[in-house]
Amino acid sequence: MAKIVDGTLFMHMLGEGVRTLDANRQLVNDLNVFPIPDGDTGDNMLSTISSGFNAVADTDGETLEEVAAKAAEGMLLGARGNSGVILSRIFSGIASGFSGNATAGTKELGKAFECGVKEAYNAVSEPVEGTMLTVIRESVERANAEAVDDDTPEEYFDIILDEVKKSLKRTPELLSVLKEAGVVDSGGAGLMYIVEGMVKALRGEYLANEMPGQHAFSDDGDNSRKNLPDLSLFTEDSELLFGYCTEFLLRLQRSKVDIENFDIRPFSDFLNDVGESVVCFKEGSIIKVHVHTPKPGDILNFAQRFGEFLTLKIENMTLQHNENTPGAEKVSGSSEADIAGQENEEFALRMRPHKKFATVAVAAGEGMKETFLTLGVDAVIDGGQSMNPSAADFLKAFKSIDAEYILVFPNNGNIILTAEQAGALYTGAQICVIKTKTIGAGYSALSMLDVSSGDPDEIVAMAEQIGAEAVTAHVAPASRDAVIDGVCVKKDDFIGFTEEQVYVDDPDREEAAFKLCKALDAGDMDVILIIGGANADAEKAEELRSRLESEFKRTEFIYIDGGQPVYDYILIFE
Amino acid sequence: MLILYTDTDTDITPKTAAQYGYKLISMPYTSDGVTVYPYEDSEDLDIHAFYDTLRAGALPTTSAISEAKYEQYFEPEFAAGNDILYVHFSRAMTVTFDAMDKAVARLKEKYPGRKFYSIDTKGITTCSLGICLEIGDMYKAGKTAEEIVAWAEKEVLHFGTYFIADDLKFFRRSGRVSGLKATMGTLLGVRPLIYMNGEGKMVSLDSIRGRRKALERLAGLIEERGEDVEAHRVVIGHTDSPDLVEELREILTERYGDKFRIVVEATNPTAGSHCGPNAVGLCFHVRER
Repeated sequence: MAKIVDGTLFMHMLGEGVRTLDANRQLVNDLNVFPIPDGDTGDNMLSTISSGFNAVADTDGETLEEVAAKAAEGMLLGARGNSGVILSRIFSGIASGFSGNATAGTKELGKAFECGVKEAYNAVSEPVEGTMLTVIRESVERANAEAVDDDTPEEYFDIILDEVKKSLKRTPELLSVLKEAGVVDSGGAGLMYIVEGMVKALRGEYLANEMPGQHAFSDDGDNSRKNLPDLSLFTEDSELLFGYCTEFLLRLQRSKVDIENFDIRPFSDFLNDVGESVVCFKEGSIIKVHVHTPKPGDILNFAQRFGEFLTLKIENMTLQHNENTPGAEKVSGSSEADIAGQENEEFALRMRPHKKFATVAVAAGEGMKETFLTLGVDAVIDGGQSMNPSAADFLKAFKSIDAEYILVFPNNGNIILTAEQAGALYTGAQICVIKTKTIGAGYSALSMLDVSSGDPDEIVAMAEQIGAEAVTAHVAPASRDAVIDGVCVKKDDFIGFTEEQVYVDDPDREEAAFKLCKALDAGDMDVILIIGGANADAEKAEELRSRLESEFKRTEFIYIDGGQPVYDYILIFE
Repeated sequence: MLILYTDTDTDITPKTAAQYGYKLISMPYTSDGVTVYPYEDSEDLDIHAFYDTLRAGALPTTSAISEAKYEQYFEPEFAAGNDILYVHFSRAMTVTFDAMDKAVARLKEKYPGRKFYSIDTKGITTCSLGICLEIGDMYKAGKTAEEIVAWAEKEVLHFGTYFIADDLKFFRRSGRVSGLKATMGTLLGVRPLIYMNGEGKMVSLDSIRGRRKALERLAGLIEERGEDVEAHRVVIGHTDSPDLVEELREILTERYGDKFRIVVEATNPTAGSHCGPNAVGLCFHVRER
C-alpha cells in the first residue's frame, strides 16, 4: 500500500481514472438529458481527463509537482463542455496545491484538493449546487475533516470516494431539474468514476507500461471517438431550438490587445448577453470559452477582435437534443431497460434516484405516445386496441424504473388483467393498476394525477375516479351495413360511438365527429381533446376543431395528431 | 428633488411612466441571438410579434444588467443633486439587484449627500404594475420618499397576483416556479394556477382543467382573498391573449358588476419569456399574499 503519492503514481491514478470513466461514459452521457441538451458529459469529461493523462503518460521519474502541472495543462487545453472545464479546473487547482511537493502524503493531498475545489468554484461565474462542484466540495470537506496525517493516501481517497457517492446521490435534492428528470448529476457521476479509478491505482491495480491508447484523444477533436450524430434528425425544415454549443481557446494577440492588463469581465459580459451556460476564464494569454448560443458567428467575430483561435468546436444542440429524448423512456427499443437488467444493477439504482411514485401507461400511435411522455409518464408501452401488450412488455417497463410504487394505466379494458398479472409477477416495486378502460380515462387521470398525499390507495382511488368521469368516444369507418342503437349504419360511412352506444352515422368523417360532439353535450365539458388517427387529415381536423370551438364557446378544444390506428378520431370529453 | 424610477419588468409603458413621472430602466431579453432592451432600443414594442415568436418555438433568455448600466442611469441624477426612489421587480427572482447595490454603493461614496431609496414590489409584471401605479399616485400627490417607503412596507404584501399559464415549458426552463406537480409535463387543457408569494417567488397553487373553469377560478379569488378591492386598481395582465382578457372581464362583470377600476396591460417580453404566451393574470388588493 502506497504511503505517498509520487509523480509516477499520480500518472497511474489519472490513467485508471481515464479507464474507469471510459468504461462507463455512455452511462454518464445518458444522465444528461435536461434542461440543456448536451448529452455528452461522459465524452466531454473523458476527453478532458485523457488530454491530461496523455500529457504525462510517458512520465519518467518526474516529481509530483511536475506531473500534476503538466496533466493540468493538458486538461485545461483539452477541456470540453461545462463539465470538462470544471474538471480541468479541479486538476489545475490540485496541481497548484502540489506546488513544491515532490511527493504527497495525506496532509499534502488534503491541501491540494482544497485548492482544487476553490479553483473549480472560481471557474464558473454562478456556481450551481447539486452539480459536480458540490460533489467535489463535500467530499474534500469530509475527507479533510476526518483524515489524520498518518492515514495513507488510500485511506484518504476511500473517504473521498465514499462521500462522492453519497453527495452524488443527494444532487437531485439540490437541483430540481435532476429530480424531475429522474437522474443524478452527470458531471458528478463522471467524477465518481474518475475517483474510483484513482482509488484502484492507489491499491496498485493499474496497468503498468500500457498506455490506454484507445483513450488518447488529440486536443483538436477526434471524431472517431464517437459516432457522428444522426444528421437526419435536423432536416431542411427543422427549427433551431437549442442553439450551438460553442467552445474555443483563444490566444490573445499582442498586436490586438494589452495581454497583461486584459480585463476578462466585459468579454464575459458579452458572452452572457448573447449566450447561456457561459464558462469563460483567462489563463495567461489563453482565454477558454464555453457558451451556448444561437449565433456562434457573432461570438467568434467578437472574440477575434482580441486574438486568434487555437481550437474551435461548434455543435448543433438541437440535433443532440433530438437524439436524447428527455425524461422518459419508450420501452420498445429502450436501452435503459436493458441496462437495468444487466449486471450493472447497482449502477441503475445509484443513477436513477429512487422515486416514490412512478407511472407506466399503454398507448398506441406515435403522437399519443409522445403526448403521454410529455405528460411526465416514466414509461410508455406500445399497445392498445387490437395490439395488446404482453405481461413481459409490462415487466420490461417496470424494470426500467426505480420506484416504490408504480402506477399503471392500461387504458383499455382488455389490457387491465395483463397489467395485474405482470404486477403479481414483479417484485421490484409495488404495482398499482389504475383500471383505466379507455385512452381518455388514462389521459384524464394522468393529467390530474396528484401524488402529494403519499398514500397509494388514496391516489389510485382518486385517479380511477377522475378517469371514470372522462368519456371517450370514437369515430371509425363502418365495415358493414347495420342498425345499431337505432342508428342506421352504412358500410364505409363513419360512425360515432362510445363504449356503450353508437350515436351517429355520416358519410363525412368530420361531420360524424361534429354530430357526435353535439350528441354528447360538448357544451357542458371543460375540455375536449380531439385525437386525430393515422387516417385523419390534419387540416380537416383543425377545421373541425375551430368549428366546434365556435359552436361550443365555453368548452376548450385541443387537437392532437395522435397517429393511432383503427380510430380516425378519438374524442376525450373531460 | 426626488426622481422616481422603475423598470420595464413592471410592465409600465413609457406613456404610463411619463404620466406618473417614472423614469424607466430597461431589462433586456435575448431572442434569436439578438438582445433587446425594451423601450430603449426603440420607442415601441411589438408585443404581439414577440409572443408569436414564442408560439413558433423561440425560447428567449433574459439577463441581468450590469453595474455600469445602473451607474449610467443613476449617476446623472445624483450629479444634478436629485435623490432617487426605485420601485423594482422582485429581488428574489434575479441577481441584477446585487449589481445595482454595488453601483449605488459606489455612487453614494462619490455623492455622499444624495439619497437612494428602493422598494421591492416582491413581484413582477402585473403584480409590480399594481404597486407602481399606486406609488405613482402618491408621487403625483406630493408624498415624500419616506412616506412612500413607509406605505410600501405595509402595503406591498397586500397586492396579490394570481395567474394561469398555458404551457409549462417556459416555467420549467426558467425554474422560477415552485410546487409544480411532479408529474406535470406539458399539459393540454390543464392550467396551473400560480401566485406570487410574500417572498416574491412564484408558487403553484392548483391545476385547473378547462379554460372557462380556470378563468372563473381566477375571478373567484377576488371574493375569496380580496380586501378593500374597490379602493385599488384591479390589474389584468396577459401574454398576448386578448381573448382571455375579454372573457375574464365578462366574468368579472357578471360576478361583481362594474365596481372595480380595471386596468389591462400586456406583460413585457422579458417577464413573458418565463411564462410563455396565452397566460392571463389578476392583481388586486388582498388580505395577505
